[in-house]
Amino acid sequence: MILIQIALRNLLTHKIKSAIVGGLLIFAAFLIIAGLSLISSIDKSMSKSIVNSVAGHIQLQEKGAKDELSIFGQMGSNEIGYIHNFAEIRKAIEAMPEVGAVVPMGIDSSIVFGGNVLDVKLEALRNAVKAGDKAQSEVIRRHVRRMVALLDDELKNLKGFSDQEKMSDDMKQGLLDVTEANQPKFWDSFDQDPYAHLEFLENKIAKMAIGEDMLMLRYVGTDTERFRKVFDRFEMVDGQMIPPGQRGFLFNKFTYEEQVKHKTARRLDKIKDRLAEGAKVATDDEIKQWIKLNRTQYKEITFQLDDVATDAVKAALQAELASKEGDMAKLVDAFMDVNDGNFQKRYDLFYKIIAPRIRLYSIRMGDTMTINGFSQSGYATTVNVKVYGTFRFHGLDRSTMAGAFNILDLMTYRDLLGYMTADKKAEIAKLQAQSGLKELKRDTAEAELFGEGGGEQVEDTTNATPTQAAAVTPTDAPVEATPAAIAGDVPLSGAKLMAKELEGHVYSQAEIDGGVIRSAAIMLKPDVDVKTGMEKVSALIAARKFALKPLDWRAASGLVGNFVGVIYAVLAFSIFIIFLVSLVIINNSLVMSTLERTREIGTMRAIGAQRSEILQMFMVEAVVMAGVFGAIGCTFGYALVAYFGHFGLLASNDFMIFLSGGPRFYPALPPWGLPVAMIAVLIVTLISTLYPAWLAMRITPLAAMQDSE
Amino acid sequence: MHMATTPAIQPIVHLSNVDKDYKLGAVTVSALKQVSLEIAPGEFTVIAGPSGSGKTTLLNLIGCVDVATRGEVIVAGQDTGKLTEGDLTRLRLNALGFIFQSFNLVGVLDAFQNVEFPLLLQKKMNAAQRKERVMDLLNRVGIAEYAHHRPGELSGGQRQRVAIARALVTFPRIVLADEPTANLDSVTGNQILDLMQELNREGTTFLFSTHDPHVVSRAGRVVRLVDGRIVTEPEQQSQTSHS
Repeated sequence: MILIQIALRNLLTHKIKSAIVGGLLIFAAFLIIAGLSLISSIDKSMSKSIVNSVAGHIQLQEKGAKDELSIFGQMGSNEIGYIHNFAEIRKAIEAMPEVGAVVPMGIDSSIVFGGNVLDVKLEALRNAVKAGDKAQSEVIRRHVRRMVALLDDELKNLKGFSDQEKMSDDMKQGLLDVTEANQPKFWDSFDQDPYAHLEFLENKIAKMAIGEDMLMLRYVGTDTERFRKVFDRFEMVDGQMIPPGQRGFLFNKFTYEEQVKHKTARRLDKIKDRLAEGAKVATDDEIKQWIKLNRTQYKEITFQLDDVATDAVKAALQAELASKEGDMAKLVDAFMDVNDGNFQKRYDLFYKIIAPRIRLYSIRMGDTMTINGFSQSGYATTVNVKVYGTFRFHGLDRSTMAGAFNILDLMTYRDLLGYMTADKKAEIAKLQAQSGLKELKRDTAEAELFGEGGGEQVEDTTNATPTQAAAVTPTDAPVEATPAAIAGDVPLSGAKLMAKELEGHVYSQAEIDGGVIRSAAIMLKPDVDVKTGMEKVSALIAARKFALKPLDWRAASGLVGNFVGVIYAVLAFSIFIIFLVSLVIINNSLVMSTLERTREIGTMRAIGAQRSEILQMFMVEAVVMAGVFGAIGCTFGYALVAYFGHFGLLASNDFMIFLSGGPRFYPALPPWGLPVAMIAVLIVTLISTLYPAWLAMRITPLAAMQDSE
Repeated sequence: MHMATTPAIQPIVHLSNVDKDYKLGAVTVSALKQVSLEIAPGEFTVIAGPSGSGKTTLLNLIGCVDVATRGEVIVAGQDTGKLTEGDLTRLRLNALGFIFQSFNLVGVLDAFQNVEFPLLLQKKMNAAQRKERVMDLLNRVGIAEYAHHRPGELSGGQRQRVAIARALVTFPRIVLADEPTANLDSVTGNQILDLMQELNREGTTFLFSTHDPHVVSRAGRVVRLVDGRIVTEPEQQSQTSHS
């Protein structure tokens, strides 16, 4: 059609106009394509990260719960409700053709004490004494003695800084105890009554020791076996999977490295990673900071070395540093003062000489770990659980967000949760009313609370005070509320005993499914989209009258899930602004070119073109412009996306890794991206053409005659 | 569309007591006063007069690009005062041909496309018919070899030939030409006038405006305008004819 030819040729003729309009439209199309690809890919990969690591496609929570479930949200006061009839729910939902599996869950955070070296050494010493191994006990004893000496030094320094008056009596007594233990006579008399000495050290000195790591662990209490099967991002790294049906804890490798590993070693690892990325010691402030910490925190190493180890390390460091320095503190300081040139050598040396002689991880696979649970109402529970191994979420190894999730078996989780049913609460209230204050007996309480499941719950009922009455409120489920328990000052021996009893106990599926949970993850079949799944699940919930609220993964993941919405909004907004600017500029330049074409248009009108045909001509021109420049922009955008889609975009930080579902981000154009971009460009062009076209329609045929007379 | 020669036949253009006023702010300027005029088929008429005498205004009224303030303007049997904008446009398309002083070709189209343009607007002929008609005319005006040149590649005379072909392509009842030779040198201007005369002899009715005495001398009939009034009685001269 001739109008298209006129349009195309006008584009070629009015070069400046075309350049301006074209540039804008190309940019707009490019931006839409690139932006949409980025966002939809982030959405897709992030959904993979979230869905396949912990959330599943749909999460179920109790209907009417005060807080909405937020998997990546804040820890602590999350009143997300409780689900009691999981077994029934699971059966009903797993029967749906759209659903692959339903996994019970509870997400919580607790404090774990990483154990202190003195404790460990004292235990070793006790064992050696018990076994009558003189030589061994001698070596350990010397180490412990040195540790006490170091501790005494440390505390004396501390005393210099702090105000004696303000120190608590406990603290003052503690200082005196340490000083006493640092006297030669204490050690000289050790052999006379080793157990009394050990007791003194264990009870009075160990608690004063430095290096007690307090870990804040976030974990998913779940049916571990089911979790492993359903979440395909889950894979074991070290150790072994918790045996099916048994209690146990799995560390996320990320958490394990970040929190459990020896601090100096961890800092060396980080320096190594950073240098591998091309950083230089001299210019990287963080590396400098790590080096500084390694140099000043030499005690992290020296404290852990016994005589024999100290001698070996000392010799190696002296050789490396070509120094005759005899003071370990100075040697470690000098050794840790690394630079670009010697780092690798010293890193290797550290792992060859020092690492084997220290506790590289404060909690090791096979250890039994004490978890101190606490809840919003302030009661605390302490549970011991065996650490079986470490795992990671594939592709998300370096992500802080995914890396924060550890895994705990559901039975132990329930023990920590200490949940009581409404019936139970009523019964307790009644009992209390009858007898004033009555302590809750552990054996019966557990049986009643959790059915035959039982638990290794340790309840410090000895300190039961009137506060307990307040804690047993209808709103929540406190089992106990003893400040001492929160502080971790609980009789461990009993707990450990329980752990031994329960370790290896295999719970039946009915037991696992039978108790209370906080939420449940639904994994849909691969070909079912989330929307459909949500509809079907909602329908089923309504039909069966389950007291459940379904949330899609986006809603369930809280802020993170909304992140895509936020970048969508940002992109939409910037595209909107660019369109607005384009609109004005394109409009302006089209008005200019319309004015230039006044006589041509007047002539067309004179020789018989109707107004509508002039409008048509302008619209065709707009469509042609949109088509040509939109296509060019889309091509550029697509080329860029294809380039990065093939080679990948390096995810530069933790959050990016999480978003991109792996270390590299591969954007891909969604199938609807192209039409969306083209239509958007077309709409902008048409709108910008409206005013010039209106002007053109008002040009009279007289304009054709204007230069005569 | 061959013209009958009898003067008694219905005139193509009929103006009676036409006034045209322009409002310039508060002042009303009278461009045409009591103009009455008839143009019969086959005429070769010149509207002559100095600048500002109302030549172009008169041509615009006849060309249906403007309407009279008072009086009656009948073109091809239609009272233009009673027509809508769209009707006027259709009248221009189907009954009139225009030749402009500055040729007014569409710069981005080549000669062929410029000539074809009115046919496309008419939507009466198919592509083959259009091609035949356009090439006929390009041959007739002597620039068939430049059919695929754009106006920018043509001389003034060639462009005006394209414009003439465009004006004629729809078989108009009358061709209106506003100072068609004003932008041409005298030799080229003469050639264009020769062509128009030839075409007139072949049956096309021409009405054009000029202030060039040389052009006036070649007219079959001269309508003189001074200050918006016709000063020479429009006598029926019989120079118009066809071979």
